[in-house]
Amino acid sequence: MNNILRYLRKGELALFVIFLIVFVVFSFSSEYFFTLRNIMNVSGQMSIILIAAIGFSVLLIAGEVDISIGSLLAFVSIPLIETMNITGSVPLGIILCLVFGILIGLINGFFSVYLGVSSLIVTLGMLFILRGAVYLYTGQRAIPDELMSDFFFYIGNGKFMGTIPYAAIIGLVILLVFIFVMRNTSYGRKLYAVGGNQEVARLAGYNIKLLKLSAFVICSFLSSISAIILASRIGSANHVAGDLFEFQVVAAVVLGGVSLAGGIGSLTGAAIGVLILSVISNGLGLLNIDTQWQLVVNGVIIIIAVGFDELKRNRSL
Amino acid sequence: MKFLQSNESILFFILALLCIFLSFYNPQFYSIQNIHSILRSSSTVMIVAFGMTILLTSGEVDLSVGALMSFVTVIVMDVINISGSIALGLIAVFGFCLLIGLINGLVRTVLNVNSLIATLAMMLILQGSVYVYSMAAIYNTHLIPLFSFIGQGFFLNIPMPVVIMLIILPFFVVLLNFTRYGRYFSAIGSNPDAAKLSGINNNRYKVIGFVITSLLVGVSGVILASLMDTGQQGSAKGFELIVIAAVLLGGTSFMGGRGTIIGTILGILILKIIDNGIILMRIPQEFQLIVPGVILILAVYFDGIRRKNSD
Amino acid sequence: MALGEKIVININFKELKIESVSKSFPGVQALDNVSMKIASGKVHALMGENGAGKSTLIKILAGAYSKDSGDISFDENKLNIRNPNDSLNYGIKVVYQEISLISEFSVAENIFLDNFPTNNLGIINWNKLYKDTEELFNRIGFDLNPKSKISDLSISQQQMVEIAKAVFKNASLVIMDEPTSSLTPNEIDKLFTVIKNLKQNNIAILYVTHKIDEIFQIADEVTVLRDGQHISNKLISESSEETIIKDMVGRTVNATFERPVDISSAKTVMKVKQISSKNKINNVSFDLHEGEILGFFGLMGAGRTELAKAIFGYDKITEGYVEINNNNYKSFNTSTMVNNGVGYITEDRKGEGIVKDMNLRENMSLPSLKIFEDLFIINKKREKNAADDYIKKFSVKTPSSERLITLLSGGNQQKVLVSRWLIRELKIIILDEPTRGVDIGAKTEVLSLINDLAKEGLSVLLMTSEMNDLLSLSDRILVMADGKISKEFYRGNVNQEEIFKASVS
Repeated sequence: MNNILRYLRKGELALFVIFLIVFVVFSFSSEYFFTLRNIMNVSGQMSIILIAAIGFSVLLIAGEVDISIGSLLAFVSIPLIETMNITGSVPLGIILCLVFGILIGLINGFFSVYLGVSSLIVTLGMLFILRGAVYLYTGQRAIPDELMSDFFFYIGNGKFMGTIPYAAIIGLVILLVFIFVMRNTSYGRKLYAVGGNQEVARLAGYNIKLLKLSAFVICSFLSSISAIILASRIGSANHVAGDLFEFQVVAAVVLGGVSLAGGIGSLTGAAIGVLILSVISNGLGLLNIDTQWQLVVNGVIIIIAVGFDELKRNRSL
Repeated sequence: MKFLQSNESILFFILALLCIFLSFYNPQFYSIQNIHSILRSSSTVMIVAFGMTILLTSGEVDLSVGALMSFVTVIVMDVINISGSIALGLIAVFGFCLLIGLINGLVRTVLNVNSLIATLAMMLILQGSVYVYSMAAIYNTHLIPLFSFIGQGFFLNIPMPVVIMLIILPFFVVLLNFTRYGRYFSAIGSNPDAAKLSGINNNRYKVIGFVITSLLVGVSGVILASLMDTGQQGSAKGFELIVIAAVLLGGTSFMGGRGTIIGTILGILILKIIDNGIILMRIPQEFQLIVPGVILILAVYFDGIRRKNSD
Repeated sequence: MALGEKIVININFKELKIESVSKSFPGVQALDNVSMKIASGKVHALMGENGAGKSTLIKILAGAYSKDSGDISFDENKLNIRNPNDSLNYGIKVVYQEISLISEFSVAENIFLDNFPTNNLGIINWNKLYKDTEELFNRIGFDLNPKSKISDLSISQQQMVEIAKAVFKNASLVIMDEPTSSLTPNEIDKLFTVIKNLKQNNIAILYVTHKIDEIFQIADEVTVLRDGQHISNKLISESSEETIIKDMVGRTVNATFERPVDISSAKTVMKVKQISSKNKINNVSFDLHEGEILGFFGLMGAGRTELAKAIFGYDKITEGYVEINNNNYKSFNTSTMVNNGVGYITEDRKGEGIVKDMNLRENMSLPSLKIFEDLFIINKKREKNAADDYIKKFSVKTPSSERLITLLSGGNQQKVLVSRWLIRELKIIILDEPTRGVDIGAKTEVLSLINDLAKEGLSVLLMTSEMNDLLSLSDRILVMADGKISKEFYRGNVNQEEIFKASVS
């Protein structure tokens, strides 16, 4: 326990306390909340946001941003479902889905890093382009999964030993891998350095452009994995999938202490941010409170979290 | 003539080419109905874009305009339905918009939150709370003819939205080009320290920029509600991105310091005529999303190159 | 030598020789035939007033500037420094005043930033990282936990990390630029211990400073530069504070302006009462009289610019008040001051002065647009006439008032910024380093302009580190050190050496 506490550094500990409070409040308000079934349910649902949030945090840490991930979610599920429907091969579909994700990451990164257009604008444009392309291809109808492979179904819906959702396991493994990469590899530390102080990183001889490009690719790649889980859960490539997804991710990550200014924050924090928002939305749902309140709650949380971050930084100046 | 700067003449040239091309392709392009429809849908964008031009000139941005506009359609319809008074509907709308603009501006200046994040959060809050306000679309049950006239009527054979836009337009052309406030906005966007050291109260003008933009969203929202004859939660979704893309295309800089209302108008006309062309040429309508996306990236890319050259 | 090839040199050397190095910028001879020798294992102090050429010399050694002529060599081996990388490869490391570390990283990570010890998979060997850092610290006598986060350290500790980062690989010459400017006495002691350890490792140290007392504690030799020329080079045992100050200040004031005899009987136009700010300023008070030129002298970091900005309402004051036009202002902003007839000309013309998207006319009229208004609309004709008047008056070199400000030369931009305030009714002007970056000819022009304005009744706050300007113009001189006013001098009763002493106290 002591080790865990040390691991969650001061800021993260505060978040963890918030999480516990939310958890306890909901446990008392709804008898269904604190049941194994519900908790497992939440862990499966949140893995979609969690995995994308990991990639998004890596990119923010490197000092860039990608708000096209929501549209990307809808976009890459098309090659996934279509390939499966046509070839009957799940692995081929998954590979193609990930390849498309990587390609989009490369395009975003190329325009932002090599052509010098602000990544916010590039990915804002990409948000339009991908969504338009999705509407165009699908004719604004969902493309159903006709293969009905058990394997594919289990990715998003299956449970290990009947209790732990596979999606949650995938999310946890990816989280642990990237926590390790960001903390303990020179690659991860270089991403922090580039986002934290680009000039110092340049003087240390880093290839800043390549590092940033790789972060764009990681972000798109992990979002594509989220897309696979989502497609498995809803059993189709849906043209409206991922609507407002980017904003949910921003809210969670910023809440988790990852700074929009780059170079600051941890994946542990981001994960706790996702956890808090997921638990709030689950709890509100169980209490039959309008799901639209989630948006309001997210918006208020962003302002408070970022405003607090700014105040803290101004004071330390 | 200093009025049309070189950038604006390029846009004007592109616009003319588009018109000529489309009229050859499909003579329907020049039908009164088609022109009315282009102008009518352009006007709602333009009205909001006037405010966005000011904001971008002063180095800020407002992503909440689309969500606010949807909210406005709901409020105006609901309040008029209940009260039977257009005046009360308008008071409610502009009171609400004033409040939202103030909050945006104060979060930006007092809490010092980057306006991109601040207004993104506001967008989420508005998008959620409009459903909290009313889950269903609100239909016109008051049937007041004057209200329908706002969006659907004609004055001297000109669609009313265009008339409203034309009434507002000169005010902003004058504001940005001929008054000290216009100079202040560009000084603040170009070099905030120099502006402050010239005795300008930067924060005050930034708040004013956000408030003006929100109020203009109120105007456009009322027109939209009248046009649709409903108040609908998602009616202006993605509107913010179209407005921003058009303003940037018009030559206003994303980095602040340079803004032009005429350029903004030309930018919107180009986007809207491309939209119209997509329909006339029977190209799938989904390209109406893709084209502004591409144009946005290219416009900012060329803006960057232009800046590099002028430095 | 092929591009990209690493320069391999023998770091063992007796001395770094700088021979007849010159460097000029348009209108300024920054370095004029400067020669000096820096011995390995010794601390060589480099002294001089602002503009003496110290920073130009540092930048040439660091590869940021290229020299016009002269040679730099280790013993007999000539160095070919074309860029900062060459300089680093020769083992020349500069520790600048500003800290440039990744504040979220540990001490060890920052030191090994360009070369983390990793295995084949790129996984960092933390044990080795910390052990290597510890070893390095032992060698140079640091007392610091390699695992501490930079943002948790004091400034002096951060500075030590900078030094460690500079010396952990093949350092031959370490240049320290004003290393003590933000340190407490206790921290300075620690820094000196480190420097002594570096000496024992046969590293040559070029120690650049304003603070005379320090060099007697740490330096072996001292070289003084003045106006880009080498003035003296002595062993520290053979020099004294007096001789060094004399060498630094040297020349006699050449252009003394006629000033009205008794300014203090003129009426008071501004009273500054015990103001403090978060930005250094600590309990500053003074009165300013009509037509007075009140000079503020201080070394880098003494708080001149911060004082100017606090008075002008750019930085909030936390205590005290400013009285102007019979109003007491405790909380005010820049527009309050502008409306009271105060103007401000910044030392940072590019960053805080010009608005680069605007033309000359628009830059000139920015604070005064109200006077050109006819019922909300700016009367461009009147505005243009006013701009043209000042273009003529100051002979600004431009084809028209409609030219983009960025297309003008620095000197002409400065004239526009001065006109920006003269165009309106002005009672007080705050000038921060008005002659910085202005060549010698134009300098006299600027100074006599200030003198003329004051004669017409304008009150001037003159913030400067140029002793010459200060002495030739000021009716009164306030010397600043550490955000406070340390001494006051009256015209006709001034002594350069005393001013200098007051500023280093």
